[in-house]
Amino acid sequence: MAEGTGRHILGSFDNALETLRNNVLMMGRLAERNLANAAKGLFERDDDPCNIVIADDEEIDTLEIQVDQEGVLILTRFQPVANDLRQVITSMKSSVNIERIADQAVNIARRARKLNAHPELPVIHSLEPMFAHASSMFADALRAYSDNSAEIARGLKARDKELDEMNRQFARTCTERMAGEPDSVRGYLNLIFIARFLERVGDHATNLGEDIVFAVDAEEIRHTQASRTD
Amino acid sequence: MESELKSPAADPSTASPEPRPDFIQVKDFNFFYGRKQALFDITMDIPERQVTAFIGPSGCGKSTLLRNFNRMNDLIDGTHHTGDITINGRSIYDPKLEIIALRRSIGMVFQKSNPFPKSIYENIVYSLRIAGRRNRKFLDETVERSLRGAALWDEVKDRLNESALGLSGGQMQRLCIARAIANNPEVLLMDEPCSALDPIATAKVEELIHELKKDFTIVIVTHNMQQATRCSDRTAFFYLGRLIEFDTTEKIFSNPSQKQTEDYITGRFG
Amino acid sequence: MADTEHFFTAAGAHRAGIRSFGNKVLNVVCVALALLTLIPLVSIVFLVLKNGLPLLTPAIFTELPPAAGQAGGGFGNAVVGTFQMVGIALAIAAPLGILSAVYINEYAPTSRLSNTVRFVAKLLTGIPSIICGVFAYAVIVLPKTGLIEAVQGWREGWFRDIALWIVTSLPSGFSAWAGGFALSILMLPTILITAEQALLGVSKAYREASYGLGATRFQTIWRIVLPDAVPAIMTGIMLSVARAAGETAPLIFTALFSQFWAQSLNEPTASLSVLIYNFSTLPYEHQQNMAWTASLVLVILVTISNVTAQVVFRKR
Repeated sequence: MAEGTGRHILGSFDNALETLRNNVLMMGRLAERNLANAAKGLFERDDDPCNIVIADDEEIDTLEIQVDQEGVLILTRFQPVANDLRQVITSMKSSVNIERIADQAVNIARRARKLNAHPELPVIHSLEPMFAHASSMFADALRAYSDNSAEIARGLKARDKELDEMNRQFARTCTERMAGEPDSVRGYLNLIFIARFLERVGDHATNLGEDIVFAVDAEEIRHTQASRTD
Repeated sequence: MESELKSPAADPSTASPEPRPDFIQVKDFNFFYGRKQALFDITMDIPERQVTAFIGPSGCGKSTLLRNFNRMNDLIDGTHHTGDITINGRSIYDPKLEIIALRRSIGMVFQKSNPFPKSIYENIVYSLRIAGRRNRKFLDETVERSLRGAALWDEVKDRLNESALGLSGGQMQRLCIARAIANNPEVLLMDEPCSALDPIATAKVEELIHELKKDFTIVIVTHNMQQATRCSDRTAFFYLGRLIEFDTTEKIFSNPSQKQTEDYITGRFG
Repeated sequence: MADTEHFFTAAGAHRAGIRSFGNKVLNVVCVALALLTLIPLVSIVFLVLKNGLPLLTPAIFTELPPAAGQAGGGFGNAVVGTFQMVGIALAIAAPLGILSAVYINEYAPTSRLSNTVRFVAKLLTGIPSIICGVFAYAVIVLPKTGLIEAVQGWREGWFRDIALWIVTSLPSGFSAWAGGFALSILMLPTILITAEQALLGVSKAYREASYGLGATRFQTIWRIVLPDAVPAIMTGIMLSVARAAGETAPLIFTALFSQFWAQSLNEPTASLSVLIYNFSTLPYEHQQNMAWTASLVLVILVTISNVTAQVVFRKR
């Protein structure tokens, strides 16, 4: 188990790694906030949070580019090996996953705006547990990154399966209702899309977890069939 | 500490905050060992208070150019040059400038650490003694300042009177750095300073270079490209006596303009 | 199958056995020859000790040589004389040799002058010691009347006055000066060559560091190079002292001999080597025994000098 213990003799190396980490965590916080705002906009039928989400996404995109550049710079300058190398690679991959999650938040916000223009569909509240589940997966993934904890990260895969199941259920419910309410088909479709976006958030959070396990334990747990239980 | 290179009008207490981008300026410089030409038309501006690295395969002239900055090559018979080198605006070949004064304004650290077979204390104050300074208090202060500056004070403060030859390799090299900065030079020249050191000692010296560049302009010749990437702000690539490319370290090592540079740093030749 | 002979095969073991037998024979032969070379050394020491020890008393160093046929006495004046003349020789040869070595090694290593000096020094190391004596005889011992007359004939002026002063104060006649001068010629080549080797032995890196810090050539030589070369230079000096102390031929017609304590350096002076020469040819047993004792003293002094060179000045 690799733990970043002592500081590097080369202070600038430590500083660069810390900056990289902080930028990734900042991206994560911003993405979390955007996801929460999207939920707010959706469930409270308020367009303002949705607009904020769409506007704030730019900052996350900029950070993604910055994290990549910083990562390449660290690789060039310091030729990290072992744990340091895995951390840098994972940080660069995490920035991609976080940016995608942020994109899903934007997508949700856009659909929410469309839904808010029409009367509320009661089934919308069945999305709340999904939202909570996806958000908590993301939050845990960020915590795993911040704490360098492979344990938290490993648990994400199982929870993703739950989220997939919740998505399937919701889609079924919606299609059933759609048949009986043809005027609200658009609304139901939007809801199905939103559920799909949340499922993607779960996938990306799982990816984050897999990369973190690689960083911490140098173990590859992607694309394995076994569902890990602790 | 008078430095011959400071322009006479400058007041040392209010040092210019703007570092010169052309602190060391090489203009159309050609250098010959007898009839053999070693450097061809070198023109470059080395910025103040930054670390500039010279890289290139063996025999490319990087050490030769470095040793010209403090005219150490004058010690070899039959060398001559065309073109000029100026430091802080003043030509180092100015006939009114004494070579001794030039060398006292420039510190040099060699590949293999070469402390004198004297005590640690005497090693550091050597440059002061040859300049005629004898005040005991001043010497003591200089010793402490230099050793602190070289990150060696805590390790040797209790054995200043012991022989310098009893130190480890990494400590000896840091002692040579302390000796070089004792006289408050403006420029620090380092010719492959870490090539004889183990990785930990190397890392300590590199961290030291990082600190030193706040006060000194540093030029370092290195075989080890990774050292150049870790330490330097700008890198110059030399090949067969010519300057092929000179740019920021980031640019050179991520996207060099010259194919030769890319071939060398990726290990396709050299 | 091919050339590799494994010790573990029978054939291989057999060949290995022959080789190791040859090795052993060679070992034995070498050891024997080494022991053989010790024999003359050991026998000299033994003989000198056996014959010289009986008369070795403190009186040796305080009394004067006995007249022919008489018993008792010592050779204190000869010991003093040897010290005096070796001292003079050292005072002349050491600065000359060391500074010349500094010049040819530090200032102009490749010049024609330096190469000539090196060549001549090597030649002079082989000079027969009697030639040194003859030369000193001609230069110091013989009266300088001809030289003085020649200088007196020069154009009048301060230059002539100074030259005259130098020429008239040159020592002449049989004297310790002449003996010391002869010995210095003997010592000079050795000191010069050893000093040059010593300077060459100083790491180039020290000089580079010194110049890099802005030292002049003089400062570098005085503060770094010479101090580091001192042990080796001292070794060379001690070795040449050891040799000069035992030379007889140069002293025979420069310092002659004296039965008395030296009153000044301008008169014939006794020395151990000449004393040994004189006394061993006399038909009196006591004098011959004294010669043995003098030999013993000389050997002891030479040994001390050599040991000092090799032990005390051993380089760290």
